[in-house]
Amino acid sequence: MIANYIKLALRNMAKNRLYAFINVAGLAIGLAVFLFGMVLASYERDHDSMFAKRDQIYTAGSVFADGADIGVLETNSVYTAMGPLLEAELGELNAVARTVTREFLVTLGDTNDSYYHTITFADPELTAIFDFDYLYGDASAIADPRGVILSESTAQKYFGRSDVVGEVLTLDHEHDLVVKAVIAEIPKDSHFNSSMIQEREPRLFAQLDTLGSIRDFAFDEDWGNLSLGDMTYMLLPEGKSRQWLNDQVNAVFQRHAPEGQQEFIPYLRVRALVEDNTVIWDAIGIPAITSIQLLGLLVLVVACVNYTNLATAQSLGRAREVGLRKTFGAGQRQLLAQFMIESLTIATLSMLLALACLELLVPLFNRWSTKIVSLDYLSIAPFLVLTTVFVGVAAGAYPAYMITRATPIDSLHNSMLKGNRGGLFRSLMIGVQFTISVFMLACVLVMYFQNQQVAKSADIFPKGSVVVLERAGVEDIVKRHETLRRQLMALPGVDNVTYTSQVPFDQSNSSIGVARTAGDEASEIIINQVRVDEGFLETYDIPLLAGRTLTRDIAGDFLKEDGEVVNVLINKLAAASLGFASPEAAVGESYFEILGDRSWEEGRAAVQYNIVGLVPDQNFLGLHNKIKPMMFVMQEKWVQTASVRLNGENTLQTLQDIERVWEEVIPDYPIQQRFLDDVFNDIYVIFKTMNMVLAAFAIVALTLALIGLFGLAAFMAERRTREIGIRKVLGARVDQIVRLLVWQFSIPVLWSLLLAMPLAYAASGMYLNFFDERITLLPLIIGLAAVLGLVTAWLIVSVHAVKIATSSPIQSLRYE
Amino acid sequence: MLSLNNLSKFYRTDEVETVALNAVNIVIEQGEFVAIMGPSGCGKSTLLNVIGMLDRPSEGEYIFMGEDVSGYGESRLSQIRKQNIGFIFQNFNLIDELSVQENIELALLYHDISSKERKQRTAEVMDKVGIAHRAGHRPSQLSGGQQQRVAVARAVVGDQSLILADEPTGNLDSVHGQEVMEMLQGLNDEGTTIVMVTHSAAHADYARRTINLFDGHVSTQSLRAA
Repeated sequence: MIANYIKLALRNMAKNRLYAFINVAGLAIGLAVFLFGMVLASYERDHDSMFAKRDQIYTAGSVFADGADIGVLETNSVYTAMGPLLEAELGELNAVARTVTREFLVTLGDTNDSYYHTITFADPELTAIFDFDYLYGDASAIADPRGVILSESTAQKYFGRSDVVGEVLTLDHEHDLVVKAVIAEIPKDSHFNSSMIQEREPRLFAQLDTLGSIRDFAFDEDWGNLSLGDMTYMLLPEGKSRQWLNDQVNAVFQRHAPEGQQEFIPYLRVRALVEDNTVIWDAIGIPAITSIQLLGLLVLVVACVNYTNLATAQSLGRAREVGLRKTFGAGQRQLLAQFMIESLTIATLSMLLALACLELLVPLFNRWSTKIVSLDYLSIAPFLVLTTVFVGVAAGAYPAYMITRATPIDSLHNSMLKGNRGGLFRSLMIGVQFTISVFMLACVLVMYFQNQQVAKSADIFPKGSVVVLERAGVEDIVKRHETLRRQLMALPGVDNVTYTSQVPFDQSNSSIGVARTAGDEASEIIINQVRVDEGFLETYDIPLLAGRTLTRDIAGDFLKEDGEVVNVLINKLAAASLGFASPEAAVGESYFEILGDRSWEEGRAAVQYNIVGLVPDQNFLGLHNKIKPMMFVMQEKWVQTASVRLNGENTLQTLQDIERVWEEVIPDYPIQQRFLDDVFNDIYVIFKTMNMVLAAFAIVALTLALIGLFGLAAFMAERRTREIGIRKVLGARVDQIVRLLVWQFSIPVLWSLLLAMPLAYAASGMYLNFFDERITLLPLIIGLAAVLGLVTAWLIVSVHAVKIATSSPIQSLRYE
Repeated sequence: MLSLNNLSKFYRTDEVETVALNAVNIVIEQGEFVAIMGPSGCGKSTLLNVIGMLDRPSEGEYIFMGEDVSGYGESRLSQIRKQNIGFIFQNFNLIDELSVQENIELALLYHDISSKERKQRTAEVMDKVGIAHRAGHRPSQLSGGQQQRVAVARAVVGDQSLILADEPTGNLDSVHGQEVMEMLQGLNDEGTTIVMVTHSAAHADYARRTINLFDGHVSTQSLRAA
């Protein structure tokens, strides 16, 4: 019997090819998108399974205060001072290990081969927490202050072989380390390798204390620096809960952290290791992974609705078959079973097709994203079966019920064909589809326009004509800054050169507390500081509003080591925050650093800042950040990069010239250069990618909805052929007929717009909240999406409407 | 009122060309009641459709109220049609989703007439054909005779001067058939031109002139004594 039903289902599909195609293809696309979202989400949420103790490993992160204004809500790192305190005060913990990453120039053995490599400096306990797969050497490697652990691919890249234990690596031409162990490559789906966005180079581990001595920096006492990705791992003993750990870690933090830091970071958050891979999305407050799952589900809903709609419409045409079956004794239950088996058959076919799509899609995606998403059929089989059954039942239940409940005589007389049976239901379903599609479309447009806004705002800085030379902050190089600058300035294609601690769009906040009266903690404001050099304003096209710019010719413009007074530029916001009557009035005035309880910087005097110039309020960090009070100070110690302003003459030649000059002046360090554009794109690409991903979902959803509408319109136009003939005989014009048919579908679409627009308004707010400079005209953009949805729906329906309205009325009337 | 001069209509399929009307010459004067008779397949309905501008002639001339309409496009034809011609079909061709009143009003919907006047004229014509008490019913709730009365009402509600009736009594019993014929007779008496296709010699007798078609030709024309 079931075989018979399946055969019948396949025959029916063969008979109505267009509908069958729309049904199967639509469902397959919906399923493929849905499954892809699920597989991707579970990939992102199940990282680090290669480590035996994964589920006992926890990390500590910092949650920022509401007013911190640093663009993220939390980070996965804590101050490095926390590590030893946790170890000392939480004796129950099996192990605590911190990691800090720093980039160094690595020279191989006694060769001249050098590479920049971001090295992970870690406490030796790291190897007790993570069971790396040692090919050569063992876990004791990192216990040696000079020891280094390489991954196999790094060993291959540097030495052309794997067994490199005993080889020497020199950091920044100065500090010799020795390879003590080689580990197998850490798989891509570990937090060590994958961040959501960018690819990391293979890990190279060394001891944290070694970094401390190289940089002469006491990490154990540092309450000042936080960097995303600098971790503190804890191995939780059996029998202790995450909640316990969370409480204990916070207790330690509250006991020891300086007051100011506790204001900035009210509490720490302990997370399971497995969460680390997705913590970035929590940090920026955009639930991307959940959104992908949700979007996949919505697309699947749209696809199911297509099936349901076409099936109810189409089943009207099969009323006679049902009537006959009933006449010959088929019960409602049997008929129900028949129709359900049909929809399950279609769902199964669609699922197979969807899996075939995934087989093609996943490798492409992996190559594009450098992820290693895999389809493990064994483990997802139950989920696949369940999904298929669910889709089959959900999509087929209503049509099956509707067709089988009619009395046999109604079915035989085909009276169902005449009434508008199921019309309300179909309208409702069209409404659901368009609500989803227009909602997504509106979000896509809002994101797009917001991103455009971000890009446009960033144009205040000459992104395309500044070349940023990175890693110019190494002591060795700093000595040669003046030579480099002079020679670069001599190039015909170069207008300006300046050294800074950060360039625009660098996501780095360096801030201090200041007030107009020395020691006046009560009126302290937080001001961001950027270390600059002569030529800074010219290089970045920053206008001077009042006073003068900074120059190397005036001694007071430099802040020397242990200097206590220096001339600075501030922006208008800083002037206002400091309480000057007018921004211009600030020029010539002073303010003072508030040291507060920075006990770890004992012995240093608070600096006095004399304002000599005023610049406008510009978003120096750009992108999603707020404009903040800023000060620009010349202080050689902290500069990191050289910015070279090109004048656009023969750019290619100039770029080569810059490289040549660098190689002449600083032959011992390879040049690392990029355009300011690229710095901007580091973060901007995240927004763009999110927009593209959402756009892909929206396009699929809208396309499915339109395909469904197309099929339905075809069916409805056919069903109303006679009526249209009559109307035409009575003198209706083509446009009147078209309007009639189009209107029938417009009503549910219009209702859906009413629903989708407020939803989109609320959802896009979530994205916009992330930005300080938001697009205006949000309702207009959402309205645009609504109009787009409506117009495409009209166009699709018009195809049939025009066809049938222009056919000769006599043909319409002969139909019966 | 109208004249067909050497008018032909062919239907072409891939292989066969069927001649439905072969060089027909017919003149119909204002106020005439003409019956068209002939065996099945002789071209009666085609002739009626061509006269009603639902179908276009393949060759020849069709002069309608002094205009040669044979070359007109669908939109101009539909203009002429809706102002001048009413149709009555054998199978009534009422719209099931609309009520009796709405079905009749439909014929006015495509004219520039205010809603109020439409309602008024619909009410008048429903009275005239005796269907007013069924105004809110659906066609499927009426008998065949009643349905055809609705169709007649619809055909005349726009003050059409020419009524084309394609076997208006074909689906009715003799009593109801009689009723419809008398109604057409009454319209003709008021000056409406009527062209009717019928199989029934008795009903053809209502007409003043009968045109007999055979194989697409006009075979005979006979006048009834006045």
